[in-house]
Amino acid sequence: MPITRRDFVKSGVVAAAVAAVPRPLLMRLGPTREPVPPIDDPRLKELVGRALEATRAAGASYADVRLTHDRGRAVRSDSEVRDGEDMVVGVRALVNGYWGFASGGAWSPDEMARLGRTAVALAKTNALGKKRVVDLAPVPAIKDGHWVMPVKIDPFEVPPLEIADFLASLEVYVARMRGAQVNGFVESSFRLQEIAFGSTLGSYCTQRCYRTSGSLQVVLVKDGKQGSGEVDCLTDAGLGWELFTAERIPFVRDRSLRESIRQLLDEIEAYTKLPIKPLDVGRYDTVLDALSVAHLLDGTLAPATQLDRALGYEANAGGTSYINAPLEMLGTYQAGSQLLTVTGNRSETGGCATVQWDDEGVVPDEFALVKDGVLVDFQTTRESAGWLKDAYARAGKTFRSHGCAVAPNGIYAPLQHAPNITMAPDRGDVDFDALVAGVTKGIAIKRMGANMDFQCLNGMGSGVTFEIKRGQRVAMIGNAAVLFRAPELWKGLLALGGTTSSRRYGMFDGKGEPPQNSSYSVTAPPALFKQLTYIDPLRKA
Amino acid sequence: MSSHVDRLIRLDDGQRILSKAECDTIARRVKGFAEHGGDTDVEIKSWWAGELRWGRNRVSLAGDRRNIGVEVTRTIRQAPGVAATNQIDDVSLQAAVRAAERSARLMQPWPQDLEKPRPPFTYATPAIWSDATYNQTASESEQAVRALMDPAEAQAMLSAGYLEVRADTMAHYPKDRPATYAAFTNAQCSMTVRDEKGTGSGWAGLSSYDQRAIDTQALAKRALEKAVASRNPVSLEPGRYTVVLEPQAVHDLVRWIVNPRINGTLDRGGAEKGSGPFVAGYDNALNLFRSKLGLKVVDERITISHDPMDPLLGVVPYNGDDEPYRSVKWIDHGVLTTLTDGRDYALTSRNDDLGHPNSGAYRMSGGQTTVEEMIRTTRRGLLVTRFWGVTLLDGGSLLVNGLTRDGLWLIENGKISKAVKNFRFTESPLFVLNSIEQLGEPVPVFSPFVPAIVPPLKARDFSFTSLIDAV
Repeated sequence: MPITRRDFVKSGVVAAAVAAVPRPLLMRLGPTREPVPPIDDPRLKELVGRALEATRAAGASYADVRLTHDRGRAVRSDSEVRDGEDMVVGVRALVNGYWGFASGGAWSPDEMARLGRTAVALAKTNALGKKRVVDLAPVPAIKDGHWVMPVKIDPFEVPPLEIADFLASLEVYVARMRGAQVNGFVESSFRLQEIAFGSTLGSYCTQRCYRTSGSLQVVLVKDGKQGSGEVDCLTDAGLGWELFTAERIPFVRDRSLRESIRQLLDEIEAYTKLPIKPLDVGRYDTVLDALSVAHLLDGTLAPATQLDRALGYEANAGGTSYINAPLEMLGTYQAGSQLLTVTGNRSETGGCATVQWDDEGVVPDEFALVKDGVLVDFQTTRESAGWLKDAYARAGKTFRSHGCAVAPNGIYAPLQHAPNITMAPDRGDVDFDALVAGVTKGIAIKRMGANMDFQCLNGMGSGVTFEIKRGQRVAMIGNAAVLFRAPELWKGLLALGGTTSSRRYGMFDGKGEPPQNSSYSVTAPPALFKQLTYIDPLRKA
Repeated sequence: MSSHVDRLIRLDDGQRILSKAECDTIARRVKGFAEHGGDTDVEIKSWWAGELRWGRNRVSLAGDRRNIGVEVTRTIRQAPGVAATNQIDDVSLQAAVRAAERSARLMQPWPQDLEKPRPPFTYATPAIWSDATYNQTASESEQAVRALMDPAEAQAMLSAGYLEVRADTMAHYPKDRPATYAAFTNAQCSMTVRDEKGTGSGWAGLSSYDQRAIDTQALAKRALEKAVASRNPVSLEPGRYTVVLEPQAVHDLVRWIVNPRINGTLDRGGAEKGSGPFVAGYDNALNLFRSKLGLKVVDERITISHDPMDPLLGVVPYNGDDEPYRSVKWIDHGVLTTLTDGRDYALTSRNDDLGHPNSGAYRMSGGQTTVEEMIRTTRRGLLVTRFWGVTLLDGGSLLVNGLTRDGLWLIENGKISKAVKNFRFTESPLFVLNSIEQLGEPVPVFSPFVPAIVPPLKARDFSFTSLIDAV
């Protein structure tokens, strides 16, 4: 039965998106072109089946297929709207331990067959070389799974004009406050990715995942002093338009966006009143805010516990890991103080890496990477879990993938990328200011970014830096940077903020050759670190 | 649906990228869908890549990928609206045009000065396409990579690397100017060799539009030798050292001066607004910032130039506004002679009808000293393979921060004495180019899409600020 325009428009969220942007893309399921059906239309399964058949016929021992349909929209406060759309398909095939991958931009039965044949041919070409063993972790087959990320407001249902108006109103709001203004434009960006996945294990599933982010920078001039900052509750999230409009969002903000802007302005105003001091080079107990701690995780443990990276598969790209003998260090390596527990998941509401199935059809689990300071596991895919098979058997753990296979879209082959990462907070309700209050002499940093080396080991970080005296932030410090080694940093963790002070931020995991970016969330509390080393970053030797 | 469109959309084995005629057809169709007057600008891109990636001495993925991108800009009453799609059937293109028009209607008018009529541009016809790159088969790539992995494995070392052959097309159909179309190829190969325990690491890589220019065997040999020689490094005190920088290391610094996508160091507009290292100062009489044009900014042995017709430095011969790249000397014998600007700025500021767009590709002059000779004449210093993770600390002095990676050695009394642990450095590329002792022969370096020819050099007093024990 051909899909009519009317059927198409009737179908739920897609209908709304189409109503907002009339973009009936065409694909070829039969002899003629017709509008792209919703991702859970059973005929897309036939298309996926076409590619899988081709790989089987050509001799693949395993293959998987991903059709992805990305819609992107960026709206600014000056009403600039940019729409983009990308439909691609990627086929991956395994022959004698070697992977081949082929991808392109057309959804048609013939193209599926061509990609299937090409992927197998590429795998076979390399299988002529030395023996390579791939022991894929077992995974149950998915029988026609369909999942939609639960967002409150589908951003593609909101008219762009309404979005632009809302953003412009934030500009007005800022301008009415104490001589502040927005630097540049208020920006918003939305993505809807629809994925249909199938594998030769008999799995088939479809997903619809949302990603929303924004940017709002303010400049405040007060009594001849200038301060600036960016709201930190608009980083990439697995949410819809509610990222902007909700009264509160757990782990993102506990007040409205306007109130968050006002809080930022209050904070900037408060610190512009502080005297500015030069750095007294040395070592200081240091309180870091949640964003700084999240950036430290993003620079150290999040990449360092990627098993492919630790074993050298990324050596020619981003580098390796300071966890450099992963199989020996598993279960014994002291990665940090007993306060440090870090887990991975791809299920939390609002997480950027949240999915129902990963790009290999695995239902991701929540798993500990570091427990009470000890390294207990790695991020894995079905292939890399195979490298831990013996270790898992010895430890009595289930041999399974943690579901960290990710590709930005069908044009890229899946790699292991970071899941959502969570650092366990303290049980109490200690926040950043309470941690500062406990320090007699030290430094506090907000919004610190970290520049890491190619083993996620040595870092240099800098942010908005304050001197602490007797539990108070008494001055700002100009030109200060923290030098640290990851293991000592995490071993020097003295105290953590509580759950209510934990915050979640969207981060990017860049990896691979050709390079590919995936986004994931890091949730962390503020924390107190023992005796960090400070230098003036602008000073030469 | 016509068979013609089907052939276009498929980009199958016989056809991996779009021809000029096909782009012309797509653009004509897009323009035909425009409603409500105004202007239509269409950009059409297509690409294909054949890739081999390996790790731990085995190929981990062989890939064949391709895609198309069409970006439509509809400008109605001075308000531009943009939409993009990768589908080139009529209905998708029409939908993209409608989306762009809807955005244009939302957008506030964005009045722009009427562009002065352009002179008829003539473009250089550089060497940017290689049939050898485009026609390299997966099986040829596999054989090349096998020959790269085997020597490392034979010495019980681990290698990881990447080989890519790629072709791109770029077509632009502006509202009121002649269309442009370019097809270009790129090949790159790089590899890292490490010992099993991870105490040493060596890297080598090269890129060119023509895969035949990449001697993969020489790369494999260099990466392996460096890995073996860099094992078990010792700690050295941070401080100022004489450095012998291999061409790749020099490029990792000098691109901060030349490449506009990394930093706007050579930007005329920036300098005349008082930002960047090439500001001479504020002229109170004229009420403006003066740039350092005409002043000596680096060692007089240094000339940094780009000729689009240089057979080793070919790039698509125009920028995003279709303005031609001209043969240019940014720095001539140490003197800053040209700053980069687009035609708009050039017209208003100095009535130049062309401007000096900057592709980022460059040739840096050198000398006759070999790296071996530089080492032989060094009493105490460091030999640097490459830098990594370089970030800007201070735009005014071009002070950057970064790390050494994949091979750092101590030179004592004219000989390499031992491998040393990596350093973090804090230094300005301009300081380095003002502290040169010796220069070697310029050679192509690893710089995909933006080729560069760079010499090795020896410089004094390079500032290493802290030890990093990452390998």
